[in-house]
Amino acid sequence: MASDEFREGLIAELSNLRAFAVSLCGSVQQADDLVQDTMLKAWGNSEKFQPGTSLRAWLFTILRNTYYSLYRKRGREVQDSDGTYAQRLTVSGEQESALDLADFRVALAKLSEEHREVLIMVGASGLSYEEAAEICGVAVGTIKSRVNRARAKLADLLGISSVDDIGPDRSTAAVIHQSPADMART
Amino acid sequence: MGEKADKREAEEPEVERDIVLDPRIQEAIGKSLKAHYDDLIKAPVPDRFLVLLAELEAKERKNGQ
Repeated sequence: MASDEFREGLIAELSNLRAFAVSLCGSVQQADDLVQDTMLKAWGNSEKFQPGTSLRAWLFTILRNTYYSLYRKRGREVQDSDGTYAQRLTVSGEQESALDLADFRVALAKLSEEHREVLIMVGASGLSYEEAAEICGVAVGTIKSRVNRARAKLADLLGISSVDDIGPDRSTAAVIHQSPADMART
Repeated sequence: MGEKADKREAEEPEVERDIVLDPRIQEAIGKSLKAHYDDLIKAPVPDRFLVLLAELEAKERKNGQ
Protein backbone atom coordinates (compact mmCIF):
# COMPACT_ATOMS: atom_id res chain seq x y z
CA MET A 1 0.00 0.00 0.00
CA ALA A 2 1.37 3.37 -0.99
CA SER A 3 2.17 5.57 1.99
CA ASP A 4 0.98 9.14 2.37
CA GLU A 5 4.58 10.23 2.10
CA PHE A 6 4.94 8.42 -1.21
CA ARG A 7 1.72 9.96 -2.46
CA GLU A 8 2.82 13.46 -1.47
CA GLY A 9 6.20 12.89 -3.09
CA LEU A 10 4.59 11.70 -6.28
CA ILE A 11 2.35 14.75 -6.46
CA ALA A 12 5.34 17.02 -5.86
CA GLU A 13 7.21 15.38 -8.75
CA LEU A 14 4.36 15.52 -11.28
CA SER A 15 5.50 18.74 -12.92
CA ASN A 16 9.03 17.37 -13.30
CA LEU A 17 7.72 14.10 -14.71
CA ARG A 18 5.68 16.04 -17.18
CA ALA A 19 8.55 18.29 -18.21
CA PHE A 20 10.78 15.26 -18.77
CA ALA A 21 8.01 13.47 -20.68
CA VAL A 22 7.32 16.43 -22.96
CA SER A 23 11.04 16.77 -23.62
CA LEU A 24 11.28 13.10 -24.55
CA CYS A 25 8.07 12.75 -26.57
CA GLY A 26 7.91 16.11 -28.22
CA SER A 27 4.14 16.00 -27.88
CA VAL A 28 2.17 17.19 -24.89
CA GLN A 29 -0.67 14.74 -25.38
CA GLN A 30 1.62 11.75 -25.61
CA ALA A 31 3.62 13.06 -22.69
CA ASP A 32 0.52 13.15 -20.51
CA ASP A 33 -0.30 9.55 -21.39
CA LEU A 34 3.27 8.65 -20.54
CA VAL A 35 3.05 10.43 -17.20
CA GLN A 36 -0.19 8.59 -16.42
CA ASP A 37 1.39 5.20 -17.22
CA THR A 38 4.37 6.14 -15.10
CA MET A 39 2.12 7.05 -12.17
CA LEU A 40 0.27 3.75 -12.40
CA LYS A 41 3.51 1.79 -12.43
CA ALA A 42 5.02 3.84 -9.63
CA TRP A 43 1.93 3.40 -7.50
CA GLY A 44 1.86 -0.36 -8.08
CA ASN A 45 5.54 -0.65 -7.19
CA SER A 46 5.72 1.90 -4.42
CA GLU A 47 7.07 -0.67 -1.97
CA LYS A 48 10.15 -1.00 -4.17
CA PHE A 49 11.08 2.63 -3.69
CA GLN A 50 13.77 3.03 -1.05
CA PRO A 51 13.01 5.98 1.20
CA GLY A 52 15.99 8.28 1.47
CA THR A 53 16.92 7.87 -2.19
CA SER A 54 15.85 10.29 -4.90
CA LEU A 55 12.20 9.84 -5.77
CA ARG A 56 12.72 11.95 -8.87
CA ALA A 57 15.45 9.63 -10.15
CA TRP A 58 13.29 6.59 -9.38
CA LEU A 59 10.28 8.05 -11.20
CA PHE A 60 12.40 9.20 -14.16
CA THR A 61 13.70 5.63 -14.48
CA ILE A 62 10.16 4.28 -14.73
CA LEU A 63 9.11 7.00 -17.14
CA ARG A 64 12.13 6.47 -19.36
CA ASN A 65 11.76 2.68 -19.44
CA THR A 66 8.07 3.04 -20.26
CA TYR A 67 8.87 5.49 -23.01
CA TYR A 68 11.45 3.26 -24.66
CA SER A 69 9.37 0.10 -24.39
CA LEU A 70 5.97 1.48 -25.34
CA TYR A 71 6.03 4.96 -26.70
CA ARG A 72 8.93 5.36 -29.00
CA LYS A 73 7.52 3.27 -31.86
CA ARG A 74 4.12 4.79 -31.49
CA GLY A 75 5.63 8.23 -31.43
CA ARG A 76 7.61 7.78 -34.61
CA GLU A 77 4.44 7.67 -36.64
CA VAL A 78 3.62 11.17 -35.61
CA GLN A 79 7.15 12.31 -34.92
CA ASP A 80 7.27 15.99 -34.38
CA SER A 81 10.75 16.30 -35.77
CA ASP A 82 10.39 19.93 -36.69
CA GLY A 83 9.71 20.76 -33.10
CA THR A 84 6.32 22.27 -33.81
CA TYR A 85 5.25 21.04 -30.39
CA ALA A 86 7.00 24.07 -29.00
CA GLN A 87 4.16 26.23 -30.22
CA ARG A 88 1.60 24.29 -28.24
CA LEU A 89 3.40 24.71 -24.96
CA THR A 90 2.90 27.55 -22.59
CA VAL A 91 4.65 30.63 -23.77
CA SER A 92 5.99 32.68 -20.95
CA GLY A 93 6.67 36.31 -21.60
CA GLU A 94 10.01 36.22 -19.87
CA GLN A 95 13.09 35.97 -21.99
CA GLU A 96 15.74 34.72 -19.64
CA SER A 97 17.92 32.85 -22.04
CA ALA A 98 20.43 34.11 -24.53
CA LEU A 99 18.84 32.11 -27.30
CA ASP A 100 15.32 32.27 -28.57
CA LEU A 101 13.30 29.60 -26.78
CA ALA A 102 11.31 28.55 -29.84
CA ASP A 103 14.49 28.18 -31.92
CA PHE A 104 16.09 26.28 -29.09
CA ARG A 105 13.16 23.85 -28.88
CA VAL A 106 13.27 23.15 -32.58
CA ALA A 107 16.96 22.29 -32.27
CA LEU A 108 16.40 20.22 -29.11
CA ALA A 109 13.72 18.19 -30.89
CA LYS A 110 16.17 17.39 -33.67
CA LEU A 111 18.67 15.80 -31.30
CA SER A 112 18.72 12.04 -30.87
CA GLU A 113 16.73 10.81 -27.88
CA GLU A 114 19.95 9.68 -26.25
CA HIS A 115 21.35 13.18 -26.42
CA ARG A 116 18.12 14.93 -25.54
CA GLU A 117 17.48 12.89 -22.44
CA VAL A 118 20.93 13.45 -20.92
CA LEU A 119 20.78 17.18 -21.51
CA ILE A 120 17.39 17.39 -19.84
CA MET A 121 18.34 15.17 -16.92
CA VAL A 122 21.68 16.73 -16.14
CA GLY A 123 21.27 20.22 -17.55
CA ALA A 124 17.74 21.03 -16.47
CA SER A 125 16.03 18.63 -14.08
CA GLY A 126 18.65 18.85 -11.37
CA LEU A 127 19.70 15.20 -11.43
CA SER A 128 23.37 14.40 -10.90
CA TYR A 129 25.59 12.69 -13.45
CA GLU A 130 25.55 9.66 -11.17
CA GLU A 131 21.76 9.56 -11.05
CA ALA A 132 21.52 10.00 -14.82
CA ALA A 133 24.02 7.16 -15.27
CA GLU A 134 21.93 4.89 -13.08
CA ILE A 135 18.73 5.84 -14.87
CA CYS A 136 20.26 5.09 -18.27
CA GLY A 137 22.14 2.01 -17.09
CA VAL A 138 25.52 3.26 -18.28
CA ALA A 139 28.77 4.47 -16.71
CA VAL A 140 29.09 8.02 -15.39
CA GLY A 141 31.83 8.67 -17.96
CA THR A 142 29.44 7.72 -20.71
CA ILE A 143 26.92 10.27 -19.47
CA LYS A 144 29.59 12.97 -19.34
CA SER A 145 30.68 12.14 -22.82
CA ARG A 146 27.09 12.12 -24.09
CA VAL A 147 26.43 15.50 -22.51
CA ASN A 148 29.48 16.97 -24.25
CA ARG A 149 28.49 15.57 -27.59
CA ALA A 150 24.87 16.58 -27.14
CA ARG A 151 25.89 20.15 -26.38
CA ALA A 152 28.19 20.25 -29.39
CA LYS A 153 25.47 18.89 -31.63
CA LEU A 154 22.98 21.39 -30.25
CA ALA A 155 25.41 24.26 -30.80
CA ASP A 156 25.82 23.04 -34.35
CA LEU A 157 22.06 22.89 -34.94
CA LEU A 158 21.67 26.36 -33.48
CA GLY A 159 24.50 27.70 -35.55
CA ILE A 160 26.44 28.86 -32.51
CA SER A 161 29.54 26.73 -32.82
CA SER A 162 31.69 29.82 -32.52
CA VAL A 163 31.49 32.48 -29.80
CA ASP A 164 30.96 35.13 -32.47
CA ASP A 165 27.61 33.56 -33.21
CA ILE A 166 26.20 34.35 -29.81
CA GLY A 167 27.73 37.80 -29.90
CA PRO A 168 27.84 40.43 -27.17
CA ASP A 169 24.22 41.49 -27.68
CA ARG A 170 22.79 38.08 -27.17
CA SER A 171 24.89 37.27 -24.15
CA THR A 172 23.93 40.59 -22.60
CA ALA A 173 20.28 39.73 -23.12
CA ALA A 174 20.82 36.76 -20.87
CA VAL A 175 21.94 38.94 -18.02
CA ILE A 176 19.68 41.95 -18.35
CA HIS A 177 15.98 41.25 -18.33
CA GLN A 178 14.84 42.95 -21.46
CA SER A 179 11.26 44.01 -21.69
CA PRO A 180 9.52 43.51 -25.04
CA ALA A 181 9.61 47.28 -25.44
CA ASP A 182 13.38 47.32 -25.06
CA MET A 183 13.72 44.59 -27.61
CA ALA A 184 11.53 46.45 -30.07
CA ARG A 185 13.74 49.48 -29.79
CA THR A 186 16.89 47.68 -30.80
CA MET B 1 17.61 -0.48 -16.45
CA GLY B 2 21.17 -1.73 -16.55
CA GLU B 3 20.63 -4.12 -19.43
CA LYS B 4 23.19 -2.37 -21.55
CA ALA B 5 25.73 -1.87 -18.81
CA ASP B 6 28.00 -4.73 -19.89
CA LYS B 7 28.76 -3.48 -23.33
CA ARG B 8 28.70 0.20 -22.57
CA GLU B 9 32.42 0.84 -22.85
CA ALA B 10 32.67 -1.04 -26.11
CA GLU B 11 29.84 0.99 -27.56
CA GLU B 12 31.12 4.33 -26.56
CA PRO B 13 34.79 4.93 -26.16
CA GLU B 14 34.82 7.89 -23.82
CA VAL B 15 38.12 9.53 -24.53
CA GLU B 16 37.54 9.60 -28.24
CA ARG B 17 36.74 13.09 -29.56
CA ASP B 18 35.23 14.83 -26.61
CA ILE B 19 34.34 18.16 -28.04
CA VAL B 20 34.86 20.97 -25.60
CA LEU B 21 32.77 24.00 -26.38
CA ASP B 22 33.65 27.52 -25.40
CA PRO B 23 32.34 28.17 -21.86
CA ARG B 24 30.16 31.01 -23.13
CA ILE B 25 28.44 28.72 -25.60
CA GLN B 26 28.04 26.12 -22.89
CA GLU B 27 26.49 28.77 -20.70
CA ALA B 28 24.09 29.92 -23.43
CA ILE B 29 22.96 26.33 -23.97
CA GLY B 30 22.68 25.72 -20.25
CA LYS B 31 20.47 28.78 -19.79
CA SER B 32 18.25 27.80 -22.68
CA LEU B 33 17.89 24.27 -21.36
CA LYS B 34 16.76 25.63 -18.02
CA ALA B 35 14.42 28.13 -19.67
CA HIS B 36 12.86 25.32 -21.71
CA TYR B 37 12.45 23.09 -18.68
CA ASP B 38 11.29 25.80 -16.28
CA ASP B 39 8.67 26.87 -18.76
CA LEU B 40 7.31 23.32 -18.73
CA ILE B 41 7.52 23.07 -14.94
CA LYS B 42 5.42 26.20 -14.59
CA ALA B 43 2.57 24.76 -16.62
CA PRO B 44 -0.31 23.73 -14.32
CA VAL B 45 -0.54 20.00 -13.66
CA PRO B 46 -3.67 18.66 -15.39
CA ASP B 47 -6.50 17.56 -13.09
CA ARG B 48 -6.53 14.10 -14.64
CA PHE B 49 -3.42 13.18 -12.66
CA LEU B 50 -4.87 14.15 -9.32
CA VAL B 51 -8.13 12.43 -10.22
CA LEU B 52 -6.16 9.31 -11.06
CA LEU B 53 -4.36 9.39 -7.72
CA ALA B 54 -7.63 9.81 -5.86
CA GLU B 55 -9.03 6.79 -7.72
CA LEU B 56 -5.97 4.70 -6.92
CA GLU B 57 -6.28 5.59 -3.26
CA ALA B 58 -9.98 4.85 -3.17
CA LYS B 59 -9.38 1.46 -4.76
CA GLU B 60 -6.67 0.68 -2.22
CA ARG B 61 -8.87 1.63 0.68
CA LYS B 62 -11.67 -0.53 -0.65
CA ASN B 63 -9.39 -3.54 -1.13
CA GLY B 64 -7.72 -3.00 2.21
CA GLN B 65 -10.90 -3.42 4.21
